[in-house]
Amino acid sequence: MPNKSKTFFLKYGVPWLAVIVIVIHFFFTKTQNLNPWKGGGYGMYTGIHFYYNQIYIPGMSSDSLMEANFDIKNTFRDLKIMPNDKNLKEAAELILKITEKDSIQIQIWKPTVNSKNGIYTRVLVNEIYLKKSEL
Amino acid sequence: MKYWLDIKAQLKSNIEISIQLLLLLLGIYVMIMSDNERIWKVPLLFVGAFIWFFYRGKTKHPIALIVFSTLLIIDLCYLYFRVANHHFMLLFMVLPVIGYSYHQRIEILSKNMQFLLVIVIMTSVIQKLLSSQFMSGDFYYYMMNRGGMFSRFINFFPENLDVIKENKINIIALNDTNPNDLKTIVLKDIFKNLGFMSLVFAWVTVIVESIVAISILWKPRSTWVHILFTFMIIGILCTRLETGFMALLAICGLILCNNSFLRLVYVLIVLGCITLIVTKIGFH
Repeated sequence: MPNKSKTFFLKYGVPWLAVIVIVIHFFFTKTQNLNPWKGGGYGMYTGIHFYYNQIYIPGMSSDSLMEANFDIKNTFRDLKIMPNDKNLKEAAELILKITEKDSIQIQIWKPTVNSKNGIYTRVLVNEIYLKKSEL
Repeated sequence: MKYWLDIKAQLKSNIEISIQLLLLLLGIYVMIMSDNERIWKVPLLFVGAFIWFFYRGKTKHPIALIVFSTLLIIDLCYLYFRVANHHFMLLFMVLPVIGYSYHQRIEILSKNMQFLLVIVIMTSVIQKLLSSQFMSGDFYYYMMNRGGMFSRFINFFPENLDVIKENKINIIALNDTNPNDLKTIVLKDIFKNLGFMSLVFAWVTVIVESIVAISILWKPRSTWVHILFTFMIIGILCTRLETGFMALLAICGLILCNNSFLRLVYVLIVLGCITLIVTKIGFH
C-alpha cells in the first residue's frame, strides 16, 4: 500500500468502522424496533431502559417462565432488546413447544411517563397471536 | 515534593500510561465477560497466556492486546445486540493501539482517539435529540423519581428516599395488573418543580455534550477543552456510576492532553472507575 493511503487508512479506518456500526444501529432501530441502548449506537440514557419493558402473556407469568427455562430467559431478553416480529415469533414458538398449549398471545409493553403531571403508564410496542397449527 | 516529581515524570509518557490503563481495563472487562462463549475463549486464553508467558519479550507483537481484542470480537459475533456500547468503544480503542505498537506514530493514534471521541459524543447528542422522552424531560423525571440518578446524593435526604420507595412500590403493583386495562399511576416528585428541572437538565446535557464534541474536533489539545471534558466526565459520574464508559473516555482524553495536571485528573478518573468496577459498585 502506498505510504499516503496507508497513513489515511490508519488515521481514519477505525473511526469509519465506528460510523458504519452506528449506521447499522440506526437501520435496526428504524426497521426492527432495536432499543437505542444496544447495538453500538450510543443511545444509552436517552429513554427508559429496556429492562423495564414488560412481556405480557395472558394466563401465564413471564417471570416464572424465565426462571424455569434458560432458553426462554435468553429469548425474552432478546425480545426486550429488539421487540420485532421475528423475536416475538421465536418466543411464541418456544413457549408453545414447552407448555404444550394450543395457542399463545405475547404482548410487549413499554413504560411511559409524563413529567408535567407525573402520570406513569404502559404502551403496547408489539404483539403476536400464534396457534400451534400454524407452526 | 519528591512524590509529586515522580508523578509528574510518570505523566510525561502519557501514551504509555494510557495503553497500560487500557490494558488493565480490558483485562478486567474480559474477565467479567468470560463466562460467555467459553468454547472459544478457553483455548484462545490458554494459547494466548502461553505465548505471552514465553515470548512477550522476544516478539514485537502486542500479544495481550491481540488476545483480548480477539475475545472482544468473539463476544461481538455471538452477542452483537446484547453487549453494551462500551464493548464497541473498547474494541475501537484497542484496534488503533495495536496499530500503534507497529507504526509508533503518536499523531496517528491521537487522530484515531480524537475522531472516535467526536463520533461517540456527537452520536450520543443525536440520539438524545431524536428521543422525545429525553427532550421533554420525561426520562430524567422518571429516573430521579425512581432513584436511578444522583442516587449517592439522595441518600443524604431520607424524606426523598421514602418518596422513591413509594414510587417503586406503586410501579411494581401496576406491573402486576393486566396492561390492556390501561391503568395509570401518578408518580410523587422527590423535589418541587421536578418536571421543569428535568426539562432544563435535559437541554443542558445536550448543549454541554455538543460543545464538548465540537471543541474536541476543533482544538483537541487545548487545555480549556480538556477542562470542559473532565468536568463532563465527572458530571456524568455524579449523576450515575457509568464507570466503564467514563474510564474509556478518560483514557482517550489522556492520550490527547498536554497538561500535566489534567493528565493526573484523567488518570485519577480511570483508576477510580477501575476500583469501582472491580468492587462492583460501578457498572462495567
